[in-house]
Amino acid sequence: MAKIADLIVEDAPGKRVLLMGNEAIARGAIEAGVGVAASYPGTPASEILETLALAAPKLGFHAEWSTNEKVAFEVAAGAAITGARAITSMKNAGLNWVMDMLMTLVYGGVRGGFVIAVADDPDAHYSSNEQDTRFAAFYGEIPCLEPSNSQEAKDMTCYAFELSEQLELPVFVRSVTRISHASGDVELGKIQKLDRKPVFDKHWKLPWRWNVYGPPGAVEKHRWLHDQMPKIKKLVETLPWNKLELGKTPSCGIIASGIGASYARDAIKMLGLEGKVAFLKLGTPAPIPERLIGRLLKAVKSVLVVEEGEPVVELQVKALAKDVNPEVKILGRLTGTMPAVGEINTDIAAQAIAKLTKRKLPQDVQREQAQAEIKKLVAPRSSTLCAGCPHLGSYWALKQALRKVGGKVPLVNGDIGCYEQGGYGIAGKEYKPSFSTESVRYPIEAPYETLDTNYIMGGGVGLMQGQFHAGYKDGVMVGVAGDSTFFHACIPAVINAVYNKARGLFLVMDNTWTAMTGHQPNPVTGITATGEATKVLSIEEVAKACGVEFIKVVDPYDLKATTAAIEEALKSDKFAIVVARHVCTLQAQRQKKFVGKRMVFDRDKCTGCKICVSFGCPGVVFKEGKAGLDPILCNGCGMCAQVCPTGAIRAEG
Amino acid sequence: MADLNLIIAGVGGQGSILASHIVATAAIRDGLRARVGETFGAAMRGGAVASHVRIGKEIHAPLVPKDGAEIVLALEPLEGLRNIANFLGKGGLLLTNTRPWLPVDVNIGRAEYPSMESIKDAIDKLGGKIVEIDATSLAQQAGNVRTMNIVMLGALAATGKLPISVETLKQVIKENVPPKTIDVNLRAFELGLSSMKK
Repeated sequence: MAKIADLIVEDAPGKRVLLMGNEAIARGAIEAGVGVAASYPGTPASEILETLALAAPKLGFHAEWSTNEKVAFEVAAGAAITGARAITSMKNAGLNWVMDMLMTLVYGGVRGGFVIAVADDPDAHYSSNEQDTRFAAFYGEIPCLEPSNSQEAKDMTCYAFELSEQLELPVFVRSVTRISHASGDVELGKIQKLDRKPVFDKHWKLPWRWNVYGPPGAVEKHRWLHDQMPKIKKLVETLPWNKLELGKTPSCGIIASGIGASYARDAIKMLGLEGKVAFLKLGTPAPIPERLIGRLLKAVKSVLVVEEGEPVVELQVKALAKDVNPEVKILGRLTGTMPAVGEINTDIAAQAIAKLTKRKLPQDVQREQAQAEIKKLVAPRSSTLCAGCPHLGSYWALKQALRKVGGKVPLVNGDIGCYEQGGYGIAGKEYKPSFSTESVRYPIEAPYETLDTNYIMGGGVGLMQGQFHAGYKDGVMVGVAGDSTFFHACIPAVINAVYNKARGLFLVMDNTWTAMTGHQPNPVTGITATGEATKVLSIEEVAKACGVEFIKVVDPYDLKATTAAIEEALKSDKFAIVVARHVCTLQAQRQKKFVGKRMVFDRDKCTGCKICVSFGCPGVVFKEGKAGLDPILCNGCGMCAQVCPTGAIRAEG
Repeated sequence: MADLNLIIAGVGGQGSILASHIVATAAIRDGLRARVGETFGAAMRGGAVASHVRIGKEIHAPLVPKDGAEIVLALEPLEGLRNIANFLGKGGLLLTNTRPWLPVDVNIGRAEYPSMESIKDAIDKLGGKIVEIDATSLAQQAGNVRTMNIVMLGALAATGKLPISVETLKQVIKENVPPKTIDVNLRAFELGLSSMKK
């Protein structure tokens, strides 16, 4: 069987298999004999813990979905303090949640190997920003490894545990979308079985090692951390993932880190420059191997740095060049040779290498014109909620209630989850900047235009309180979040709202799963990461315990009842919570628990008013002036029949 | 055989990622190296998805360069058009399902869905070839509309452009679909394969 659940625990050194970068990172941890793995879901990192959770029961280690990244980090760090090998994994933004613990944990380090695997997302495919984790390696004064493909993702992760134990410090493995969500052939290694007994010694090698306040205090501990850097710098010189191919007296060189090395290699081949430029393949962007890079800088006249993210390597190379060869020209993001933002690829690398080597890339103007014409025909495909998604019902009800009692310009603050698509807008529509000095209300043509603000996990329910305390009077204030987000980041904000007497509606869309990242379980699901039954927490009970006085629970499939509950909440003079609860349609279908209704569409009764289309379900189509239901996409949830004013859509049974 | 660059394009939920993993796994089994780069939006369903599949002996990056695809396998026509515009190489082939999945932008009247004629015209301008298959109907004929991606893999195998044996592909399909659906998937594969021979 090639199924990942079996493959990932197969102790078959030398076997070649296809692994996604995230699976490869998980396999690296498994081969290193990991004892504890903890994470919070976040694209493009989720499959790391998902894969580890498949292996955990079989190999006897612990894997969990924690309530947020900070807790996950602490769980893994706690294990590493007792000598176990531990891994925590997260997306780029997840790192922001763990910084508090990370920045002090490094003041004493760890006993067991501790790997922090972070998947960055250049181009912000699935993220709210493009932040580069490699900077955090400098901030925390710890090393960062960066793989160029799935094989290295596995090998580096496995080695990172060893490196961490050698240095007694956590180690970053930095992935990017094109590593984490790309797949490649991987040769498996041996699975180590460590069977370590957890031990604790509070003065292990250093007094008060695990208590940053314990004597000799934080400054001395910072000194200890700082003193590890020469050791790290020496080590990175010898790693197999840093390799210089100098060739015969070339005048130009390329330094390519992580995925950048894969693009650069393909680009060199594309340009027919194999062996004609010096190539330094880099696997440790922080810190860089200075002696190795120094050799390159002394040998050439100009160097191009190819890296994904910010100019992290480039800045270090520039600083190094000042000492070893101030004459060498360094090209990269800082010189505009590589783009300042967004993702790189083989074509971008080829263009930059052409500039470096003063070559012209072949151009086919006629073809480019044809391509430009074709692109005009390509209709955009806006991201949508799924057919029959309960969030469609919640957004519809919210829109109706806001129309009635929302005031002139109601404010809806978003959060991160499937429902964040409520703020993606419509790709086919042009939005112009406004310079109004007054509040402005814009029409909501589809639910995808509902969210007025949206930043981070738990952000909305906090923002609405600030809007209230600033004295915003032009409309009501709403925050929306999901079930997993509620437990991840909203509880302190809910308590804050009660304590500091804020008002407004907090709409929690509970679909029982952390759906957007691939249906991971969370505290309301009833199972753990490894599928074990566990306690089901109740959002309304938690809210009640936090002192919230207005709480209503509704089924968003019932549009009338949901609208009424939201209306009542908006009219109340309290901080109000409405929990819109209905299990995710995809999950219900997968578990064969979804019962669809028989949908009947009467074309004669349809007046083409498009109200059903504005409901936003992909199962509702509109052709030749009339609506219709796509027989393949529609699953018979029946919500569109509730919005149809003429009875053209009916749900039976 | 030279390296092969293939793009499998579709809408989230149509199975383009599984299809690409089947091709890459089969390639590795037949002794080649493989890369798959996936591009999709944040959503589970309904977004544009493209899997870049690279097979050969000396390949590194997981993405196909501009004008670098020998084949674009489109599970949905608009997604085929989206990908040929950037990636189809000269003399390349667009193998496309004919059934559209209308974007919300089209439904609300903010965009127009391109006609099959305009897609054919685009292929002409790019100096490529097009083969259309009603794969959704063939999947229904096989017994489950969700096997449409496997119908398309059958059609892909029939082009003879894959450096992988049909037997290996079938074996990998068997291993990667739910056990209860092996028969319907193999029927879908055969229907795709024979549709090209007509």
